[in-house]
Amino acid sequence: MFGQILVSGITAGAVYALVALGFVVLHRGTRVVHFGLGDQMTMSAYLVVIAQVFLDAPFAVAILFSLVLSAGFGVAIERGVMRPLRRAPLLVMVIATLAIGAALREGLRASMGPLPWPVPFLLTPAPFTLGGLVLVPANLAVVGVALAVMLSLFVALRFTRFGRAIVAVYENPTGAAIVGISVPSVHARLWGLSSVLAAIAGILVAPLITLSPDMGTIGIKGFAAAILGGFNSLPGAIAGGILLGIAETAAGVYVSTAMKDIISYALLIGCVLLLPQGLFGRAEPRKV
Amino acid sequence: MITRRELAAGAAGIALVTAGTREAAAQDRTGVTDNVLKIGVLGSLTGVQAVFGQGNLSGVQIVFDEVNAAGGIHGRRLEIASVDDESTPARSIAGFRRLVDDERVFAVIGPSASAIGQAMEPTLRAASAVPVLISIFSSPAATEPYKNNVFRTGPLNDRLQGKALADFALDVLHGQKVALAQQTDEYGRRGGQSLTEQMRARSKPLVATEVFNLTDTDFTAQLLRMKQAEPDVIVIYGFPAPAATITRQARQLGLTAKIIGSNATSNRTYPATVGPAAVGVMNVITLADLPERPTDPRMQAYVQKFTARFPDLARQNRPDLGDCLGYNGAMVFAEGLRKAGRDLSREGFIRAMESISNFETGVGLPTTFGPNRREGNLQARVLEFQPDLTRKLIEQRLQAQP
Repeated sequence: MFGQILVSGITAGAVYALVALGFVVLHRGTRVVHFGLGDQMTMSAYLVVIAQVFLDAPFAVAILFSLVLSAGFGVAIERGVMRPLRRAPLLVMVIATLAIGAALREGLRASMGPLPWPVPFLLTPAPFTLGGLVLVPANLAVVGVALAVMLSLFVALRFTRFGRAIVAVYENPTGAAIVGISVPSVHARLWGLSSVLAAIAGILVAPLITLSPDMGTIGIKGFAAAILGGFNSLPGAIAGGILLGIAETAAGVYVSTAMKDIISYALLIGCVLLLPQGLFGRAEPRKV
Repeated sequence: MITRRELAAGAAGIALVTAGTREAAAQDRTGVTDNVLKIGVLGSLTGVQAVFGQGNLSGVQIVFDEVNAAGGIHGRRLEIASVDDESTPARSIAGFRRLVDDERVFAVIGPSASAIGQAMEPTLRAASAVPVLISIFSSPAATEPYKNNVFRTGPLNDRLQGKALADFALDVLHGQKVALAQQTDEYGRRGGQSLTEQMRARSKPLVATEVFNLTDTDFTAQLLRMKQAEPDVIVIYGFPAPAATITRQARQLGLTAKIIGSNATSNRTYPATVGPAAVGVMNVITLADLPERPTDPRMQAYVQKFTARFPDLARQNRPDLGDCLGYNGAMVFAEGLRKAGRDLSREGFIRAMESISNFETGVGLPTTFGPNRREGNLQARVLEFQPDLTRKLIEQRLQAQP
């Protein structure tokens, strides 16, 4: 049974990890924790449904449509909300992200209805057995894509001009500005990038966890995963997500399903108390 | 010194005042004028429970529009005062007070969700003069304990539904090892508790009980534990999103038991949301006919009216369960007004509602109230999902005992 717990925990964790990546990518560069990210996931999955059902687009085109609009939406948030608020306290920006999330959620509820919508699977949900373990291609796709996204991010940040500008802003925004990097433009890219990550997560998980306007509540698990892994570490986001998924599933099986959230959040609190920078994060000294 | 004559006059005066007060109480005409009757509609139009509140309001709008187009009831046009409780109990309580105290409505239709209704129980009990009709939510709190002013029809009370589901699992599905997955909120807890008690009462205790949160997305832990008990019937008492995922993951993990879901999962898109794993799965539904393929002309007419009045909602695969129940409830309410006659008072309306017997709308199941009966519907139908993922009503029904 432990093997099955690991498989299921890793699948659930990969979903959290994808969301956590979106949080970390954005936070490292902008310091903003975007609490509307979960709802952006939901919006992107709905965009696929809209393209398919109302515009008769093929699945691949619908996905492309969703990714492009999601990236545009992220940039629009930066330009329309965050840039005007750039001199406001960080708390105001965070509250603005909460408002964006709530507006998206209620907008989707009003326009698409409160009930779940069917979404096609990227790979088949029919299971197969391997070495006594039940594996589901649709779930494996989530794990695979999470790893592929992380690898692509690593390559992009290290080897492309676009990525190096982001890393420069991550490390020292003032220094980056002095050498000619447009920090506001990098911020806009970061918002677009985190929105695309949320879109990928949303499109992948919507058929697995059922698409409804409230699907974005999973964002809070992604946030917890990001804290667990270290809020400034991209590999930490993946590890935190997987660890949270396994902890939840194991707690549910071995202790009690009613206690699984309590146990996994207790783990999170313990981690914050003992390792405030997270499992993979590094402490960032601030000059005062 | 008081003379006999003065004493007699005093006694007669007191008798007159008392009788007058009784008469006034019986003649509470709040919200009634010669040509208008003002009715409050309370429900969750936004927030997580919005599907139910929208159904409540849309049903009232369709029925009242039709009534008004035909000249009203006994010469009075029906006017709606609507309040959105935003899926929050505190706002629902405030909304109810606003309708009753500020808007001075004659009666209230709603609230619309179990979690709200449970919290509103003391408020509904305290407003003992105000007739209230519940037509969507199924928490027993609406009618238990008995409240003279609160009627419910449409859904099957969760306490009764849990019992009836246990009987159905044993008598129709012939379950030997029945397991339960219940949502942790008011809805799942009430239904699950009742089912558990009935299984125990019939000497077939549940082989496994697992709980889940409305926002949970992975149910492996629950299902792996359940699998160890090797159930042949699994009852899911919860909302569509988690229930759909549980059903899919149960099949993926090799659970082959017959799965039956409670009334909340009987939305039209449910089988498509679950996917191929839905084939053979059953759901309780408290409708007389299916809105997506109506056979009853009355359901056909309702679907046409809904589609014409709410084209935006129709694009969302509606009317669905909540909409149909809202319409059914509004029809029952209008029937109560017709029976109450031109000389309308709140007390008279309550007596008129009590006289409704076996009233059929073709959309909901038959309604019968009585002097001590406030649950209008005591039965439910059962759906089975076909290989093409369509829904089919089966012959056997759930029959509850009050």
